[in-house]
Amino acid sequence: MEDLSRFSLSEEELFSHVDHSELESEKITAPRYSYWQSVFRVFFRNKLNIVILAILIFLVAFAYIYPMLTEYDRFGNLLNSTTKHLGPAAAIRQFGFSIHWLLGTGGAGESTFDAIWNGSRISISLAFICAAINMSVGVLLGTVWGFSKRVDNVMTEVYNVLGNVPYILLISVLVMLFSPSFWTMVLALTITGWLSIAYFIRTQVVIIRDREYNLASKCLGTSTVKIAMKNILPFMTSVIVTLLATEIPSYISYEVFLSYIGMGLSEMSLGRLIYAAEGAMVTPGWEMEFWAPVAIASIITVVLYVVGQNLGDASDPRTHM
Amino acid sequence: MTKYLAKRLLHGAFSICVVVALVMIMIYSMLDRMLVFAQDPVYSHQGNNTKTTYRYQKWEEYGYLDYVPFADYLLSLQRSGAIDEETRAGAAAIANTPAGDSELTAEYVAKFTEEYEAKGYTVTRLKAVMQGKTKRYASGGQPQLFAYRDIPLTHRLLDYFTSLLDIDSIHYVPEDADIGERGLTFTTRDPMYGGEKFSPAILGNGTRHKYLVYFDGRFPFIHQNVATIHLGTSYTVNTGVDVFDTMTRSQGSYVRSTIAYPTGLVEESADDLHTAVYSAGSLGTSAVYGDRFTDDYTSTSTVRSGFSKIGYSFVIGIISVVMAYLLGLPLGLAMALRKDKLIDKIGTIYIVFIIAVPSLAYIFLFKAIGGRMGLPTTFNMEQSGNRMMYILPIISLALPSVANLMKWMRRYMIDQMNSDYVKFARSGGLTEGEIFTKHIWKNAIIPIVHGIPSSVLFSLTGAIITERVYVVPGAGNLLTEAINKYDNGVIVGVTLFYAVLSVLSIIMGDLLMAAVDPRISFTTKDR
Repeated sequence: MEDLSRFSLSEEELFSHVDHSELESEKITAPRYSYWQSVFRVFFRNKLNIVILAILIFLVAFAYIYPMLTEYDRFGNLLNSTTKHLGPAAAIRQFGFSIHWLLGTGGAGESTFDAIWNGSRISISLAFICAAINMSVGVLLGTVWGFSKRVDNVMTEVYNVLGNVPYILLISVLVMLFSPSFWTMVLALTITGWLSIAYFIRTQVVIIRDREYNLASKCLGTSTVKIAMKNILPFMTSVIVTLLATEIPSYISYEVFLSYIGMGLSEMSLGRLIYAAEGAMVTPGWEMEFWAPVAIASIITVVLYVVGQNLGDASDPRTHM
Repeated sequence: MTKYLAKRLLHGAFSICVVVALVMIMIYSMLDRMLVFAQDPVYSHQGNNTKTTYRYQKWEEYGYLDYVPFADYLLSLQRSGAIDEETRAGAAAIANTPAGDSELTAEYVAKFTEEYEAKGYTVTRLKAVMQGKTKRYASGGQPQLFAYRDIPLTHRLLDYFTSLLDIDSIHYVPEDADIGERGLTFTTRDPMYGGEKFSPAILGNGTRHKYLVYFDGRFPFIHQNVATIHLGTSYTVNTGVDVFDTMTRSQGSYVRSTIAYPTGLVEESADDLHTAVYSAGSLGTSAVYGDRFTDDYTSTSTVRSGFSKIGYSFVIGIISVVMAYLLGLPLGLAMALRKDKLIDKIGTIYIVFIIAVPSLAYIFLFKAIGGRMGLPTTFNMEQSGNRMMYILPIISLALPSVANLMKWMRRYMIDQMNSDYVKFARSGGLTEGEIFTKHIWKNAIIPIVHGIPSSVLFSLTGAIITERVYVVPGAGNLLTEAINKYDNGVIVGVTLFYAVLSVLSIIMGDLLMAAVDPRISFTTKDR
C-alpha cells in the first residue's frame, strides 16, 4: 500500500473499499420530497407573503367575529336627525370615542364601520361559497370534457349556447323568480359560472393529455381515471390555485357590479353599501360613506388575489428547486 | 376554406337560434307576468272586470299572448261582410249573466266560443259585478267576454326570425289604396336637392320607403332602404320603435337646414326627407302635411346633432381599444424584456390593482381624479363639439384592457423567450434584435391577434358601468333598462345582437389567427 499522507487529506476523504451489498443497491437515495411541504416552504420563503397572509387572515376573521360580538342596528338612530351623514370627527364628537364611529355615520345615522363589516361578512361568504361550488364542478366536468371526444362535442355546443345568454338577464330572471336573497345570488352566480372554469380546465387537459409521458402511461395499461388523477391533476394544481386566486375576488367584484346596476342582494352587502352611498360620493363632507366600503372591498380583493397568485406560483413544482 | 367557413357560420346560426329560444322561454314563460303592472298607475286604478281585461290587453302588447275580445270578433265579422252593422250591435250587447243573453247574442257567443276553443284559445266570460244590491255596475263591473291563448314558442320563434329582415317591395302599400302607378324610378337628379344637383337616387311608389337608394353628405354617403333589419319592437324603453332603430337612430338636438318639400315649400326644418315612409291616408289628415307633401310618404325622421346609441358606444369603445393595444403591447413587451426589474414590478402592481379591485371602484377613482384635474365628468350631448368629455370614459375603458393585454403579452413573451428554439437561434449567432423581430415577436403575437376582432366588435355594445357613471347615452345600458322595464321585445333583440357579435368575433378571430400564422390551418383534418 502506498503512502497517502503526502496528499495531506483525512481518512474519510480518500477512496476506500466497500463491499457489494444486494440490499443497498435496491435503495434509491433522493432527498425526501413532500409536495405540499415544498409548496409552503417556497411560499413562506418570501417574507412579504407572510405579511399579506396575516392581513388576509385578520380581515376574514375580523369580518366574521366583529359582527358577532357587536350589536348592529341599522335604524337605531333613525329618529335622531343630528346623527346623519357625519364625518369621523363629528361622529366621535357626537357619540364619544369608540370603534363604531371611526368612519363616521351613514344616511340613517348608522355606523359606517359596523355596516362595512356586516357587509364584508356577506360578500366574503358569497365569494367563498360560489368559488367552492364553481371550482369543484368546473374542475371535475372540465377534466371529463377534456378527456372524452364525445363529451367534448356536446359540451362545446352547450358552451356556445349558454355562453351567449346574457349573464345579467339570467341573473335578473333568477332574482325575479325567487327573492333577491343570499342563496338566490349563489344560485345565479353558479348556474352558469362553472362553465367558463370547465372550459379553461378542458383546454389545459387537452394540452397535457397527449404528451408523451401520458402516451407511455397509456401504453403500459394505466386506466384513464388513474391517468387523470395521478398524471394530469397534479400537473394542474398550480393552474387551479391560480384560477382560484382570480375567481374568489371576482365574485366580490361581480356582486358590487350587480348591486350597482340594481340587481344585487337585498341584504346590505358591500356592493349594496356602495350602491346606496353612490350619491354621497359627490356630496361634500359625505365622501367617507362611499369611499370607505370601496376601500375595504378593494383591500379584501387585492389581498385575496395576491395570496392566491403567490400560492399558485409556489404550487408550481418548477419553483421548488 | 369556404366549406369550412360555411360550416362554422351554420353552427353559429344554430347556436344563435338556441340562445334566442332560451331567452324567449326565460322571459315569456319563467318570469311572473304580474310584474309588468308593479309600477303601472293605470292598472291600480282599474276595478273588477276591466282590471282583468286591461291585464290581458297589456299582456298582448308585451307579446305574451294573443287576446281577442268578443267585440273585436264581431267587428272582424262585420268587416268581412258576414254580418251587418245592426246584427253586430245587437250581438255585442252581452248580458250580465250568460242566462240573460238575447237569442242573437247567445248565437254569436256560441259561435265565438266554438271557433276559438277549436283554435286552442281559452274563452272566458266574466259576470257583471254590481254595486251592492242596486242595478248599477260597480266600478269596472261590466260583463266581459274574451278569448286568449299563450303564443307557443315555435310560433314565436318562427315569427321572429321570418320578420328579422324586411325587403321593401312595390306591393307594400295595400292594393286598394289609390297611389297612382306603382314602380321604381331611377333619377340622376335627386328631387330632394331641387332637381339640379347631380345625385343619383332610386325612388319607389308603392314601397314602404320613398327613397330606396340615395346619396347624402353623411357617412357612409350611399344609403339604402331596400332591406331593413327588425330586431323586435320595443314597448316601454322606446315605445313602438324597433330595437335596431333605437340603437342606430341619432340622438340630441334637431339640426335645422333649409329644405325644399315636394310641394315646393321651402322651410327651415330638421326633417330628413330621405327617410320618408308611407303612412296610409296621412296626407288628408293634416294641413301641415298638405302644405309640404304631394303623396302619403309623410312620415320622416329628423336630423339630429348627436351620434346614435351605438355610435357613442363605438366611438368611445374603438378609441379605447386602439389605445389599449398601442399601450398594452409595448408595455407588456417592456415588462417581459426587463423581467424582475423596476418596470416589471410597477407593471405587476398595476395589473394586480386592475384585476383585483372591483371595476366600479377604480372607475369612480378615475372619475374623482379626472374631476380634480378639471375634466368634464358627465357627458353632455348638446356640446357635441366638446371633445374633452370623451376623455374620461375612454380612459376608464382603456385602462383595464391595457392591464389585461400587458398581462398576456408578458406571459407569452416570457414563454417564448425561454423556449429551446430561441436558445438555438442565439447559439447560431443571431443578434438579440433579429431573434426578437424574426422569432419571438411573431410567435408571441399569435394568441393576442385572436382577441382583436372580438374587442373591436364588442365596442359596439358599450360598457354598462362606464356609460352609467359618465352618463354616456350609449347602447350599454339598453339591456339592463329593458330588463328593469320588462320590455321583452328589446331583451330578445339585444340578446340576438350580442349573440351574433360573439359568434362572428370568434370566427373572425380564428381566421385572423390563421392569416397571421401559416402553420394554423382549419381545413386540413387532424393528423
